[in-house]
Amino acid sequence: MSSSRNFSRVIVLGVAIVLLILPVLGCRREADDRQGQRPVPATTPGEPVDGDWLIRRMPAEPQTLNPITARDMYERVVNEYVYESLLDRNKETLEIEPQLAESYTISDDHLEYTFTLRRDVRFHDGTPLTAHDIAFSFDRIKDPLVDAAHLRNYYRDVESVEVLDDYNLRFTCTEPYWLALEAIGGIPAIPKHVFEEGDFNKHANNRAPVGSGAYKFVAWETGREIVLERNDRYWGTRGHLDRIIFKLVLDDTAALQLFKRGEIGAMGLTPEQWVRQTGGAEFDRRARRLTYDQLAYYYIGWNMRRPFFSDKMVRRALTHLVNREGMLENLRYGFGKIVTGGFYINGPVYDHSIEPWRHEPAEAERLLSEAGWIDHDGDGIRDKDGVPFRFEFLITPRATFAEQLATILKEDLKGVGIEMDIRQLEWATFEQQVDDRKFDAVAMAWSLPVEGDPYQLWHSSQAEKGSNYVGFINAEADEIIEKGRREFDAEKRRAMYRRLHAIQHEEQPYTFLFCPEALVVVDRRFENVRAYQSQLALEPLEWYVPTARQKYGRENDAP
Amino acid sequence: MRVYIARRLLLAVPTLLGITAITFVIIQLAPGSPAAMAVRLGGEGVRSDAIAQEIVEQTKKLYGLDKPIPVQYVLWLKRLVTFDFGTSYKDQRNVLEKIAERLPVSLQLSLTSIFLVYLIAIPIGVYSSTHQHSLSDNVITVSLFILYSLPNFWVATLFIMFLGGGDFLNVFPIYGLVSDNYAQLTFWAKVGDRLWHLVLPITCLTYGGLASISRFGRVGMLEAIRQDYVRTARAKGLSEKVVIFKHAFRNSIIPIVTLLATLLPAMLGGSVIIESIFSIPGMGQLAFESILSRDYPVIMGITTISALLTLIGILLADVCYALVDPRISLE
Amino acid sequence: MKRTSQGYWAITWRQFRKRQLPMRGLVLVVLLGLVALLAPLLANNRPLIMRYQGTYYFPVFREHPRFRNVDFDELAATFEKGDFAVFPPVPYTPTQYDLTEHLQEPSKKHLLGTDDRGRDVLSRMIYGTRISLSVGFVAVGIYIAIGTVLGAIAGYYAGKVDMIISRFIEIMICFPTFFLIIAVIAFLPPSIYNIMIVIGITGWTRVARLVRGEFFRLKGQDFVTSARGLGATHFGIIFRHVLRNALGPVFVSATFGVAGAILTESALSFLGFGVPPPTPSWGDILSQSRQYIEFAWWLTVFPGAAIFLTITAYNLVGEGLRDAIDPRLRQ
Repeated sequence: MSSSRNFSRVIVLGVAIVLLILPVLGCRREADDRQGQRPVPATTPGEPVDGDWLIRRMPAEPQTLNPITARDMYERVVNEYVYESLLDRNKETLEIEPQLAESYTISDDHLEYTFTLRRDVRFHDGTPLTAHDIAFSFDRIKDPLVDAAHLRNYYRDVESVEVLDDYNLRFTCTEPYWLALEAIGGIPAIPKHVFEEGDFNKHANNRAPVGSGAYKFVAWETGREIVLERNDRYWGTRGHLDRIIFKLVLDDTAALQLFKRGEIGAMGLTPEQWVRQTGGAEFDRRARRLTYDQLAYYYIGWNMRRPFFSDKMVRRALTHLVNREGMLENLRYGFGKIVTGGFYINGPVYDHSIEPWRHEPAEAERLLSEAGWIDHDGDGIRDKDGVPFRFEFLITPRATFAEQLATILKEDLKGVGIEMDIRQLEWATFEQQVDDRKFDAVAMAWSLPVEGDPYQLWHSSQAEKGSNYVGFINAEADEIIEKGRREFDAEKRRAMYRRLHAIQHEEQPYTFLFCPEALVVVDRRFENVRAYQSQLALEPLEWYVPTARQKYGRENDAP
Repeated sequence: MRVYIARRLLLAVPTLLGITAITFVIIQLAPGSPAAMAVRLGGEGVRSDAIAQEIVEQTKKLYGLDKPIPVQYVLWLKRLVTFDFGTSYKDQRNVLEKIAERLPVSLQLSLTSIFLVYLIAIPIGVYSSTHQHSLSDNVITVSLFILYSLPNFWVATLFIMFLGGGDFLNVFPIYGLVSDNYAQLTFWAKVGDRLWHLVLPITCLTYGGLASISRFGRVGMLEAIRQDYVRTARAKGLSEKVVIFKHAFRNSIIPIVTLLATLLPAMLGGSVIIESIFSIPGMGQLAFESILSRDYPVIMGITTISALLTLIGILLADVCYALVDPRISLE
Repeated sequence: MKRTSQGYWAITWRQFRKRQLPMRGLVLVVLLGLVALLAPLLANNRPLIMRYQGTYYFPVFREHPRFRNVDFDELAATFEKGDFAVFPPVPYTPTQYDLTEHLQEPSKKHLLGTDDRGRDVLSRMIYGTRISLSVGFVAVGIYIAIGTVLGAIAGYYAGKVDMIISRFIEIMICFPTFFLIIAVIAFLPPSIYNIMIVIGITGWTRVARLVRGEFFRLKGQDFVTSARGLGATHFGIIFRHVLRNALGPVFVSATFGVAGAILTESALSFLGFGVPPPTPSWGDILSQSRQYIEFAWWLTVFPGAAIFLTITAYNLVGEGLRDAIDPRLRQ
């Protein structure tokens, strides 16, 4: 029947067309910038000038801009410029230095911290900032009715605050703790006269922050962008850019296109985008590429309560089986550094002399056999005391690397007689399982401070109810951690923690993977751009755009 | 008919109660709770705050989650009577406000695309049925099936890359529903701006539905065309057009009417994928994020309103059955 | 000579056989089924049959401890005279990876390219057929069965029965399926079938409403009245007479249901509710393709083509079936 012949012909033709077109589409890679062939004036390094806007990409919207109840890092990125605290970390030296405080003293027993404030600080609405505001902020953190349980956790030892006069106040602690200074120094200063009325958790100004920082809040168009404007009466070094705008773009591909169109000035890229979508001379003409080590590390946590993982030799064998080098090289194009312990790789504690265990399957097999895990019954799986070496590996979805890691590991382990099942759970369920300690092995990541207290993660008291999920219990480690909390001599303390790093390397409670590198692109018209090694590595306060290349001005009033 | 409608409206109340009660219970059954989500979340499973049991307990109490479920449900119902859907666990904003802010966005997209789908697909379906097995029918069928098989995230991304500027052509905007300078535009410029922003997302939402709706239309028409009354009509000498549109078509649209019942609740829905790719803050994203973060008040709010719209939609469809075909009785 | 009546299904089959297109569709469906069944024979890194040092082995069918972790390519290099090995057409398993070959375009070595870990896409597609087809059948099978029965009863009896069943339908439409899925994933061992059963059990409402609508339409027609006049039971009328005429929309639903199940599986994969890794499925390849979408077209096109073939095949078969059942189209 002619109709069926037509039909088949059409299908074949259709499929042929589709298959022919597609490879052509694939052939376009040389991400040439076809737009903007305007000649670019040579940059004249010179005096910074005011003007222009920076539009940064925000991959998710913060839930709130109240620095005390906020729980996500996006709030932090925005409020970095709006709110300030007593002390701050110098981005260059990573040392703690005064910000709102002019000076401070610590009592000899390390229980009292007395601060003297600057007198020239004003909130964005003109009201002077005084000790009453700091005390108010502290009280809000401690208030159990305020939705800030996670933050309160850090101030357990800080008992009370006493306002001595308008510009002096004293904090009293119950225990001496070296991190207390940083915690107290990090209290965000919110204006008492704004927040004292009304329900703090639902306050209108949670979406319209009033701070004292270099930039003030202008507008938050929900689902679209947050706009900040320079504070011209800032007490400190003013920024040059008129406005900083955080544009919410959920999709990575769309964001990169917007960047290429010039509608975004700075954003982070995925390794794929960095390597395949932003190469070429054209792109480099228009954009600057920066990298920095993130304050985080990925790891595989072995639940040491399980029969297989209670043995140090087995854990070490598993580390020998994880091809960290290969995965870093091929899956992340080398953007990262393998780590050997739970400390920030560029921080003062990390011991670079410790060599990571190499990827050596033969050595792994030897260790496993020595530990008693041998295939006694010939079924291809190692066993010991009748227990087959079979476990479940927990990952979350949309964590691409974890999923890649899991499937690769499964294949590799099969080759040495270990059976691994992969279980993928959605985030909330995953959290529950991990909190309930119902897992065998888990792939996760921690974000780190530059220098922190290992107590939460590594102390035995946290094994059942805290964040020490894997159940790491080691007497020497406990002693180091406890002593470290009271050690105020920085060098001594760091040496102690270095010993902890060595213990972690020996015991392998985690198979430490790597510290990822962040990949950032910034429009070339911004001068004075660099990436710092700290929590928020970009510092737009320093950036400026030469007058001739300014794109947005005060005249285009559209936010 | 009036009695029927009145009876249905009355029945809607217990139905709605049942739906909300079941939803309330089931969402709490799922593991994970908003209290446990009180953690700073970075990307790719990065956690920065150590969670202690007490933190979870404190937060639970704050949200009222420590009370037994039936008690919580009754409390929720009590507030519902005053149209108070509570506040979101995530950002403490009023739930109704959050929904109302996103609703118009989704409306623009979903209503327009549904309208377009039916507008295009039904004529195609009718044409297909009257030209069954012809070359044009086959071409159309194959094309529609190909379109159906293309995942919408892929097409959306293709649009963004090739028509959205950056690397190739810069024809359409790819961000949001309006341009940055929207406020300064004249009225007509504003209308144009909006329309221009809608082109790509609506295309993505529309092309997939064409295949299935047109097939439903086609199947219904094929059925109708073969009936005896059609033969009679033709024998009577009526023109083909009259036969098709006046007689056959009316009898074939029952499945279409059925599917239209989903029109109302669809206003409240949305495609998470399209919304996230084009950065359009719609209901789809809201619903999705609330589920993932166990934001119970928002989930209940969306479910309740959606359920209400569904019930109304179904009622309208049932009434339409009787209107379209006098032989149908609903009793 | 007496000619016995051939029986309903025999007649239907003969009618079906006479139509070319549906037969080709059926061939395609059977082919897909075969691919699914014979996957290990089609894509494997072990030989189907091997002669080594004088003895015959069949590594694909029986695992020999001796060859458990052997690389057969290396082994082949050491072959002596008389030894040979016959490999399957696609010499890769779906889980076998090679990081140095990741994200390669289709080439002679990997006919459909590789994914982000260097796994062969063709092999994954072949094994993926198993998941995609069975998932379609399970989910669609369940919801067609439930939906048709409930819709038929509601539409036929109308009145009170319809009131009750319709309320039940409304409740199911608004049911928080997502949370049920989350709970199922958390509490039961990981398996895509659990999810598909959940979808089947909660997704039958559309079919039910379609069938109900058709029954409203058909119930008032003459053939029903005459059947009653001839003494047919209600059950008989529903299932032997009316239902056969109502099947049109059901088939369309089923067709798109199976394709839809594959797309749903892809969406679920993306969210983490899909097949547990590293199980290959078309949906899984699709969901992963999102990340590399800017250049890895092969990760989207091939699953898309597979989906296209599947819906076309099922659609043809479905239509053929409907036509074969229709007595007015007897050839």
